[in-house]
Amino acid sequence: MTVEATTPSGERMTLNMGPQHPATHGVLRIVVESDGEIVASCTPDHGYLHRSIEKIGECVEWPMVVPYTDRVDYVCAMNANLAYCVAVEKLLNTDPAAAVQVPLRAECIRVLVAELNRISSHMVAVGAMAMDTGAVTPFLHGIAQRELVNDIFEKLCGQRLTYNYVTVGGVAFDLYPDAAAEIARFLDQFEIEMRRFNKLITANAIFRDRCAGVAAVSAAEAIAWGLVGPNLRASGVDYDVRRDDPYGIYERLQVRVPVGQGFAGRRGKVGDCYDRFVVRLLEVQESVRLCRAALAMLPPPADGKPADPVGGFQADVKKLLLRPPKGEVHCRTESARGEMGYYLVSDGTKVPYRVRVRTGSFSAAGIFHHVMRGIFLADVVAVIGSFDVVVPEIDR
Amino acid sequence: MTQAAPQFATLPFATLADRARTVCAAATSRTTDNGQPFLLVPAADLPALAQFLRDDAALRFDALMDLTGFDLLKYPKAETPNAIAVLYLLFSYRHRHRLQLRVLAPRELCTVPTVSAIWPAALYFEREVFDLLGVTFTGHPSLQRIMNPTDWEGHPLRKDYVYPDAYHGVAHLREGQHFETNPPRAGDPPPPAAAPKPPGGHA
Amino acid sequence: MTVIAIGTAADGAPAGPGFGYTVDTLAAWLAGGQAPGAFATGVAIVVAWVVPMLVLVFPLAALGQIAERKIAAAIQRREGPNSAGLDGPLRLLCRAVLFFLPRPRQDRVFERLSALPVVRTVLATARRIGLGQLLADGVKMLGKEDIVPADADGVVFRMAPYLAMVGAFLPFCVVPFGHHLVMLESPVGALFAIAASGITVLALKMAGWGSGSKWSLLGGMRAVAQLISYEIPVGLAVAGVVLWCGTMDLHAIVGQQYRDGALTLLGWNALQSPFLLLLACILFFAGLAECQRTPFDMAEAESELVSGFNTEYSGLRWGMFAMAEYTEMLLVSALVATLFFGGYQSPLGEQWIVALPVWLSVPIHAVLLLLKMLAGFGLMMWIRWTLPRFRVDQVMRLCWLSLVPLCLLALLGLAAQLLCAGGATLGVPYGRLPARLQPDLGMVGHLVGWAVPLLLGGVVVRAARRRHGQMHPALRQLTGGAP
Repeated sequence: MTVEATTPSGERMTLNMGPQHPATHGVLRIVVESDGEIVASCTPDHGYLHRSIEKIGECVEWPMVVPYTDRVDYVCAMNANLAYCVAVEKLLNTDPAAAVQVPLRAECIRVLVAELNRISSHMVAVGAMAMDTGAVTPFLHGIAQRELVNDIFEKLCGQRLTYNYVTVGGVAFDLYPDAAAEIARFLDQFEIEMRRFNKLITANAIFRDRCAGVAAVSAAEAIAWGLVGPNLRASGVDYDVRRDDPYGIYERLQVRVPVGQGFAGRRGKVGDCYDRFVVRLLEVQESVRLCRAALAMLPPPADGKPADPVGGFQADVKKLLLRPPKGEVHCRTESARGEMGYYLVSDGTKVPYRVRVRTGSFSAAGIFHHVMRGIFLADVVAVIGSFDVVVPEIDR
Repeated sequence: MTQAAPQFATLPFATLADRARTVCAAATSRTTDNGQPFLLVPAADLPALAQFLRDDAALRFDALMDLTGFDLLKYPKAETPNAIAVLYLLFSYRHRHRLQLRVLAPRELCTVPTVSAIWPAALYFEREVFDLLGVTFTGHPSLQRIMNPTDWEGHPLRKDYVYPDAYHGVAHLREGQHFETNPPRAGDPPPPAAAPKPPGGHA
Repeated sequence: MTVIAIGTAADGAPAGPGFGYTVDTLAAWLAGGQAPGAFATGVAIVVAWVVPMLVLVFPLAALGQIAERKIAAAIQRREGPNSAGLDGPLRLLCRAVLFFLPRPRQDRVFERLSALPVVRTVLATARRIGLGQLLADGVKMLGKEDIVPADADGVVFRMAPYLAMVGAFLPFCVVPFGHHLVMLESPVGALFAIAASGITVLALKMAGWGSGSKWSLLGGMRAVAQLISYEIPVGLAVAGVVLWCGTMDLHAIVGQQYRDGALTLLGWNALQSPFLLLLACILFFAGLAECQRTPFDMAEAESELVSGFNTEYSGLRWGMFAMAEYTEMLLVSALVATLFFGGYQSPLGEQWIVALPVWLSVPIHAVLLLLKMLAGFGLMMWIRWTLPRFRVDQVMRLCWLSLVPLCLLALLGLAAQLLCAGGATLGVPYGRLPARLQPDLGMVGHLVGWAVPLLLGGVVVRAARRRHGQMHPALRQLTGGAP
């Protein structure tokens, strides 16, 4: 609902939210002008987490950029790693002499970790949004699931947050011996947990009424303002990079894509907060299915031969990256927050010339001032939570 | 939940370039050094061409997926080394074709007209290119720095960017520190004479 | 089935100083049968009026803090405070008792003491329960700097927490903790309770204004709007009970809920009529709003932005607001229990408890009321950690468009029930209606009196769910199929 925001005397108050924020969104500063009840305008202030990752990309060698990509989106670091590595592989493949053959086992592992990380990232996203509306319990239940995923990743690569696991040509380590069984067990209990989670918060009428019709973004607006990922799909646009512009083995996996339909019922609109919330939960379901499919496709390991095209886990690209083809490439992958586009410029040396990361949260932050006019003050944090912005993606 | 995507009227690059040239005759088709095609457009023709690309029924480039740039100063064998290349990566959700526009902005007069009236996504992208590469977008409603503080000097992603010594009186380097790229690149200034490491291990 | 009229002057109160039945009896007993003097009266006053508050209500409110955290932790599948135990106080006790020994000797005694198996188990249990967390939080709160903002209205700012405590504790005067164990035996007890709890409204307004900041003021005004709005359903719910029982004296209301035999709970007001059950739920939820607990805590938990009216309060002043909140939760539970669920009476076999000697029946009654209060307390906490928060407009809409009409409908239904089914419904004091209006419909009236409201209620609930509460069909599979 949108209402004009003025007191009878036309007074407006300026409220500063951040950079330290009670809601877990990072160092984001938003200057809100309101009459105490309704928001008149909202101006974000970015740059608190700017670490010049793109500049660093011009200073270190090609494989050494991978740990920095973790920090571009630390909530969903596997997908961030994957985005860069797929882009570099695409660059290498533009020259047939430098083409890379990523082993099938590595591709399956990549899908596994990417989808597991998508699950854990969405748990943070929906949990934080629920917490912003006052329900603290779903957040902790989501975090409990994320901890289980982190346990798996810790056994896999030693890290719980910034994994540095997906490398150019494959993955850094093979799966540990019990990994497939443990992941399957996790997926089984996760499905039961999600049913409970949804009964707790998604089916809750109070939550639905809080989010219904708030900050609705139409499909045309979403496209024009550059929204991607779940934000775009919640507005009704049926597009997913994994299905429509596939990379790796996603073409074989036949990804199904949820689209927002005004799920909140009578008071809901297509592309409101509730749609964005629900689309993420539906995506999580699809990720579980993709994980199971990847586990089924996983070929047995080729011991001692990491570059084996079927059972290996890492193609040998060291020499290739010392002298990659000179030129440019644009490559997109679907991260948890949307399409992560890498534009790489290579001058033929072992250090990149330009590494450009285009992230979903950047465009989502760009639409804040447009979408948050006329909403209740209590809804501001819910709206920010529904767009699932992580500040490292905005500021890089 | 939808299954497979239906068929789209996707056009190849040559057709897209020809259609674009009906509005902007000066647009030339180029390729990068590894064969990726793009359309080189003079800056003055950009807004009209952008409007046409968005509104034409066969093209319908409704999404500006990325607006970025890079400095050509140190690019080996660049045709215009003194320019900053501004890239427009367009995408059509309707027809699923892609197009890259490129505008070369000379360093001395680094201005490009804005496309934020056509794609509002450009509002933030152009602010970032202004901040990091120093390209001024004429007609942008609120062109100010977005990553760096508003009183920052210099444009960091330029290849001739020199990191300032201090910001508001606070020095950036401590005794014995210097900036260097690792590994050193041909053409970079040599690092200053290595200062002795102070005792205690704090560099 | 007989109804014993408890609470009237029929059971021969002794002539005394006139402070009410409990004080008079106690003073007379202390004075040994003679006319009680000032000392006896004073002791009687302290025992009868102060002890219940200090012993029963105050510790519960304090324990509420740790109960909240442990219940929240259980719901969120974690452990809650499990490190702070009673080791610190035990060490302090050793130091205090053995003050004449040097410090290392004192510590050695403490270590030997805490190594004893019994003591070790007790300490470990205390640590797991987190009992020491209360003390730690209390000490931390007391040690905080007392900040009064420069722009604050000094007197108003400082007085607000005390008023909040007064508004929370004062209504306990009329809550009966046992047979004649009530501080203020007033014929308008229910009215007094509601009126006294209205002091909290004033306290919040003072807190918002006195903080001297625009955001606190706005938070305070929003809180006050919510409180004033929800006084209406509270008052109407109490009015329903008053209509049914014919008296505002809480002690008499409890007495009317007495039944002989094993199943005393059949006499409880909530089971007398479905309208009364509805009013019980409404009183509970409106009371939840009065306490400003989630889902109604939008005023204080715009915590995403500011903390509402208590932003500028720190340390002990804030602690008083928190204590007032827990006490008010206990008060709401106590009122619901007293008005609807039999007060201090046991659900089973009250007859035999009454027959016990005084020194046994009084503690049992007090404990029973405490258990009911704790049940309400726990239910409030359960609700808090499960539900999200209402927005400001949703809170107001809920009150004025849902609760108030429901209350009025319930009152109408109660009146209709009194007229039609009065004679057959269990235990209604019939004497208020004039004789010519007392129809006797027998079992038919009894059935109609229950069946019609239940059917109507079912229809209304189903219509509301269909209009409002259903999930989108595409989302049914998210919850495993349930709509």
